[in-house]
Amino acid sequence: MSSYVDREWFYYLRGRELLLYKLLGGSSNERITQNGVLRTRGKELMYPDEDIADGLRVEYTALNEPFVDEAFEDVTAVASGTGIAIVDGGGSSDTLTDTESGFGDFQDGDRIRIQGSSSNDGDYTLSGSASSGTLTFGSGTFASSESAGERITVTQIPKEDKTPDATNHINLNKMLSLAVVDYLKAMLFESAGDIERKEYYLKEFYGKLGDNESNKRNISVTFPSGPFAIR
Amino acid sequence: MTVLEAMERAGLDQETLAIAWIKDAIHLIQSNSKEKIKVNKQDIIKSSDSDDNIYVLPADMIAIENISIKDTSDGKYKRIKRITSRPSYIIEDTSP
Repeated sequence: MSSYVDREWFYYLRGRELLLYKLLGGSSNERITQNGVLRTRGKELMYPDEDIADGLRVEYTALNEPFVDEAFEDVTAVASGTGIAIVDGGGSSDTLTDTESGFGDFQDGDRIRIQGSSSNDGDYTLSGSASSGTLTFGSGTFASSESAGERITVTQIPKEDKTPDATNHINLNKMLSLAVVDYLKAMLFESAGDIERKEYYLKEFYGKLGDNESNKRNISVTFPSGPFAIR
Repeated sequence: MTVLEAMERAGLDQETLAIAWIKDAIHLIQSNSKEKIKVNKQDIIKSSDSDDNIYVLPADMIAIENISIKDTSDGKYKRIKRITSRPSYIIEDTSP
């Protein structure tokens, strides 16, 4: 059993590979072995000595679904409640039903994400029909049926288009889309050999990236004023 | 914003080139500001020979956000530390 992993496991990056090491004298190892050998508690490392299913988790950024079918700002449908049930239709269509009729904003063909269910959390695409009380999917979509009772949230997510053309949307918000326009202008001026204007638009591009980040951090800060402060 | 709208705003008329440059721009955005995060999970294997501690990073990775290991005593993924230089005494362990 792995424990104290935050203190006893380490990684080393080598090109495209990640090398895992574990502290030899860690909590899971005997200090005195059966043959009487005293094991070190020093900072000696060894290879992992146990199987852990899905044990290594890498969080990273990627070129992730760059083009979608709908504008980022239009993907707003959401339904949540304890009246949502999941029906595995067997050989026929699977469905999501809501006794509170909260599916009114969803449309056939939408991509959705289910959270809060026992065994059907994941991303799915509506296929068949959509009404305020029932969403229909292809047969075999859900692993099993679930009765209403659990609080389940259904959220619309952008639907990726893997063969983009001019009609597709960039999967970014408005500010970042405007930054992309600046990048396109910069590349155009670079092609024309106008380096000064290219630098100008690249600066605009990075400026908008900064604005987008600061838009997420509009936090007010208050300081208590002293008893003799001028008001 | 559609690709066409971005092309018109920039004064660009080549669709394929525009799509390639938009991908480049998103690549730069993901490299700098971490707009969208992905998660990759791999099984850890009990080492029995010299290359069993090597794991391949996701092929589509632009920047690492963090690396964590599952603590099976409480089922939580906990962030682990990076060592900046490879252990000098254990270049390859043929009998781990």
